[in-house]
Amino acid sequence: MKIIRELGSLILIACITALVGTVLVLAVGADAGKAFDAFFSGIMGSFYSFTEVLVRATPLILAGLGVAVAFQARFFNIGAEGQLYMGAIGATWAGLYLPAMPLFLHLGVAMMAGFLLGGFWAMIPGFLKSQYRIPEVINTIMFNYIAINIVGILVRTLMANKTSPLPMSPRLPDELHLPFLADPTRLHAGLLVALVSAVLVYLFLYKTTWGFELRAVGNNPRASSCSGISVKKTIVISSLISGGLAGLAGGSEILGVHGRLMEGISPEFGYIAIIVALLGRNHPLGVVLAGVGIAALQIGATTMQRRAGVPASISLIIMGLLVILILGRQYWIKSRST
Amino acid sequence: METGLIGILTALLAASVRMATPLTLAGLGETFSEKSGILNIGLEGIMLSGAFFSFISAYYTQSILLGLLGGCLGGVFISMIHGYLSVRLNVDQTIAGLALNFLALGLTSFFFLMAFGRTTDLPECPVVHQIAIPFLSDIPIIGPAFFNQDPFVYLTFLLVALCYVVLHRTEWGINIQATGEHPRAADAAGISVSGTRYRAAMLNGVFGGLGGSYLTLAMLGFFMENITSGKGYIALVVVILGRRHPVGVLMAAILVGAAEALQFRMQTMGFGIPSQVFNMFPYVITVLVLLFSIGKNRTPAALGEPYIRNNR
Repeated sequence: MKIIRELGSLILIACITALVGTVLVLAVGADAGKAFDAFFSGIMGSFYSFTEVLVRATPLILAGLGVAVAFQARFFNIGAEGQLYMGAIGATWAGLYLPAMPLFLHLGVAMMAGFLLGGFWAMIPGFLKSQYRIPEVINTIMFNYIAINIVGILVRTLMANKTSPLPMSPRLPDELHLPFLADPTRLHAGLLVALVSAVLVYLFLYKTTWGFELRAVGNNPRASSCSGISVKKTIVISSLISGGLAGLAGGSEILGVHGRLMEGISPEFGYIAIIVALLGRNHPLGVVLAGVGIAALQIGATTMQRRAGVPASISLIIMGLLVILILGRQYWIKSRST
Repeated sequence: METGLIGILTALLAASVRMATPLTLAGLGETFSEKSGILNIGLEGIMLSGAFFSFISAYYTQSILLGLLGGCLGGVFISMIHGYLSVRLNVDQTIAGLALNFLALGLTSFFFLMAFGRTTDLPECPVVHQIAIPFLSDIPIIGPAFFNQDPFVYLTFLLVALCYVVLHRTEWGINIQATGEHPRAADAAGISVSGTRYRAAMLNGVFGGLGGSYLTLAMLGFFMENITSGKGYIALVVVILGRRHPVGVLMAAILVGAAEALQFRMQTMGFGIPSQVFNMFPYVITVLVLLFSIGKNRTPAALGEPYIRNNR
């Protein structure tokens, strides 16, 4: 019965969002057929458009995995955006200023630098929560803004490109780029990093003692503490991994897409990642699917704006609505099944 | 027009107060909400919706008052969805707030484009004007800042006082605080936890909507996509800096407003320091305030916790 109810509610949610989407398209007076055609051809009209979806999904999956790990430990990390930017700083720094070394080693070191800096950025609020019970929600939001401003300062001062008046860092060496997976598209190896990370996160969460402890702390910190798990240590570790994954997202955007540090490299990836984690139910496989789904929604909406004149902000409406319905659904299932 | 240091100081203070007004308004609303136990990250969405609906109704009716009404209703619309999700459905308040920010940004951008298309010359709505209060506005430095402003600013001062009285001197205000500190005890004492939280959410919408209206009906006179651009998050900062006390919220908002005004001034004067250094201040200070409040915990004990009546 429960499965039927769950499935039924999911279908209902899909229908409601589709209905609202249709109503909105009709409301702007667009040709509905043309709009939907544009939406779907934007996602999989060609091999190229499908790779664009995957390029967009890469940072969403990585940051989404990070948020999911934190949420499993009940560390409400709203700071993926800032951790992503710190990761971007780390990767750019390693790419620009470390001495010459073999290419793949350099790429690996740069990604690692992204992981470490992102993880460090999340670990501060994690430590403050576990040690002093400072609520992490507000703290991580503050760290987002601080990180974004740090990027703004760096690209104008220490890491500024001296040959250009624009606020951006010098370009990374051309060869220092995550390998392209399918020329001539923009698809880069960041996607592989994301998929491998998903597998690793799965193994970590469900097949290791640390992962078990992390989930136990998330489920019931008091009981975990009573059975000898160090809740404080677990929260700090979860924040480190969480921020590290978001940092990888930043590193992959720098090394795979932009090739230099600048402001605005993340169109709210870090916030959307929270939605991705929620839709994916904090499970690595779910996060991968949700990341691709949300990326498809956004790419499809942009194409719809270009070809049928429907504002792309329709994707924001759909995302918000989807989350609200999913949140409501949990209540609905719970209250009916007891 | 005075020049020199006094002139600059006067202009700076006046600008700080203007910048502080929307933050104070939204911060007051959030104070009620947080005191009652609801942490609403959706403040940005509330302000954005308020700004949009105040603009729309002022534009079509050419009436400031109806614009204000529209702004309040726009704010209430978002805050009541959040209230319903957190009070009735007991969902995660942070995620609900975040989702509402996306929803509000999407809805306002979508409908604005739908109504006005992609134009370069933005449609304008009527705006309120400054009213100088006789004699008081002649006081040097603080006169122009506090007594030669638009009615919104005066309303904000009035509301700060009113909120203080309501929160700390009336039974209803004490009930709100009880609900946020210990909902079960409040419930046992006969206070309706959900009713109190709904009313706090409603106030949050009204105040946040007013804060958003200030942007369109007083500061700018037009609407554009994402007009609030993070002001709602800064209002959350102001609530913490102000320790969830109406007067504290006002002071914190003026402080943040001053940082903003100073930064504009620095930019026009062409100092070599990137403006991001100043942008960062409020956030860094908030982290420090959180850090220094270790031990003397002033956060409502049940903030962010859903209250489920029959659970033990």
